[in-house]
Amino acid sequence: MIVAIVPAYNEEKRIGSVVRSLLQQVDRVVVIDDCSSDQTYEEAYSAGAVVLRHKINRGQGAALETGHEYARRVGAQYVAHFDGDGQFDAADIQNAYQHLQKNSVDIVFGSRYLDEKSTLPWFKRCIIHPVGRVVDRLFGGLRLSDAHNGFRFMNRTALETLRLRQDRMAHASEIPVLVRKHRLRYSEIPVTVTYHEYGQSALSGFQVVQDLVVGRFLK
Amino acid sequence: MIILFQILFSFFSLFAIVSVIKKRKDGLLGVKGMVFWVLFWLVAVVVVLWPNSATIIANTVGIGRGTDLTLYISVAALFFLLFRLHIKIEAVGRDITKLVRERAIEGVEEKIK
Repeated sequence: MIVAIVPAYNEEKRIGSVVRSLLQQVDRVVVIDDCSSDQTYEEAYSAGAVVLRHKINRGQGAALETGHEYARRVGAQYVAHFDGDGQFDAADIQNAYQHLQKNSVDIVFGSRYLDEKSTLPWFKRCIIHPVGRVVDRLFGGLRLSDAHNGFRFMNRTALETLRLRQDRMAHASEIPVLVRKHRLRYSEIPVTVTYHEYGQSALSGFQVVQDLVVGRFLK
Repeated sequence: MIILFQILFSFFSLFAIVSVIKKRKDGLLGVKGMVFWVLFWLVAVVVVLWPNSATIIANTVGIGRGTDLTLYISVAALFFLLFRLHIKIEAVGRDITKLVRERAIEGVEEKIK
């Protein structure tokens, strides 16, 4: 069984179409509504997703781990991480599945840098992502071209191994660290990302670094 | 004026020590915590009643004035406590996440039943 995990916070405009496109590619779509104040829950549910609702907003990392826990309990064999804002193309899941099978890896990371399919804003391409790569290396991550890409595809081994502890955005740095620590086999594939009007601010990078530092002192 | 301050501070310290012992009796403070805070207030009383004592200690570690030594130690201690508090808040946040997660999954399981 392939389960798509979609963390969502106030995504009522796009979550319905995201769920419908995913249902053509996977067996089950799990949307984690991270205490949205809009109609995200209703839109995702009526589109056919299983919707888990966080009663308190806990962040994207926490939402992903909630999806992991659900996937473990229902016996998922494969799991896809997919953003709820409609920036990804659901067809990339099949590519990731085939790539994972063909290359015998445990986890596949999506990347916007391996081909020309994605049009990145220059500030992200030239400033935020290069700095992010350096920070990730400093904290013991893998040498990935696009670690903060929200598209990932993994098998049951990776699902059992990756237990996310970073509740907010630092999970994107934590995952490569865990992959390296547990010696999981990994690979990258090109994915299409279509940018809409919103996204993370540059300042959120400082929050990520702070979370990574504090995380080092927690059990 | 300084004598008035010394008297008031001594009373306040006495009150603080009694409060620490009471917290220990109520089970809110461990033995280590109680010993630390009682010693802390006793040292504070000694330094306030005999200001030269701090200067003597300061001189032995190469600092000119007792007040400077007190200030340095206080700032370092405050930073350390702030850091510990930050870590504690983060740990509490993670515990809250675990509860929120369990509630979210239970909610779906109940619906399926």
